[in-house]
Amino acid sequence: MRILILSIALLLIVGTISAQSTGLEPGNKSPEIKLPNSKGDTVSLSSLKGKLVLIDFWGTWCAPCVAEQAELAKLYNKYKLSNFTNGKGFEIYGVSLDAKKSNWENFINTNKISWIQVSDLKFWRSPVAKTYNIQALPFNILMDGNGIILAKNLHGIDLEKGIARFLHK
Amino acid sequence: MKTKLLIFLFLLIATSVFASCQYSSQGQNDPWTPQQLLAPADLAKVLNDPKAPQPLVFSIGMQAIIKGSIDIGPAMNAENLNTLKGKLNKLPKNTQIVVYCGCCPFSRCPNIRPAMELLKSMQFTNYQLLNLPQNVKVDWIDKDYPMNE
Repeated sequence: MRILILSIALLLIVGTISAQSTGLEPGNKSPEIKLPNSKGDTVSLSSLKGKLVLIDFWGTWCAPCVAEQAELAKLYNKYKLSNFTNGKGFEIYGVSLDAKKSNWENFINTNKISWIQVSDLKFWRSPVAKTYNIQALPFNILMDGNGIILAKNLHGIDLEKGIARFLHK
Repeated sequence: MKTKLLIFLFLLIATSVFASCQYSSQGQNDPWTPQQLLAPADLAKVLNDPKAPQPLVFSIGMQAIIKGSIDIGPAMNAENLNTLKGKLNKLPKNTQIVVYCGCCPFSRCPNIRPAMELLKSMQFTNYQLLNLPQNVKVDWIDKDYPMNE
């Protein structure tokens, strides 16, 4: 009886953990992304080699993502010229899962977002949502100058701590 | 030993309940009943069966992803809600209607409530909300259910 109960318990734990896993773990190489910015020019993730990079998956329709943009602006301005143990300079690579260009463009312009913004305007059908196994927005990945994932889904104070711990001392 | 095991099981059940509540399909004041939630697997089955009577499926979110669905646009926008109203005005009250958004978890979605309230206020008798408690990617696309080209 005891073995049966413990087996059920173990199954429940494994089920809960696997349901929350996104498949991309720290230490893995971040998959390449090549998407157009709002002017139509393709910007690849690999072009940021050498910098500490935050890939921010978001959408103008996602209220918590929109709320987070002001925090990202502060972090960007604070760290963009900093040196890190594994990257020179900090960049944000914003990937929007918007469906309408006007919504995306208006938000960027109104909020004067100065970091890289790309989108294929395919909403949840965007191939990057599949590649990165995104289950919900906002979602982000912090990667080093070699494109290696350092952390994922850091928000609020954890995000700044996650960036600051790699500052060159 | 028995007490420890009971405490362990209690904590485990509590954790599971908490995890399942993260994407709850039904809030206290939501304008739909549990019976009005349509399982994605059930809709997919109907859409894949050309002989089955097909419901009218309206996308009241960002994009009409589901096969055959009609793109209304986000129902939080008054103009889009009016578009939906215009289409509904032409239909018999017993038309089988399904609405979906799928942008975000139900608790945060700004579009499903205005659409469901409109259907209720117009006294439709056979309408449902597609149960996409997390989003249309996790609950539809990832399951390879039929999509618009």
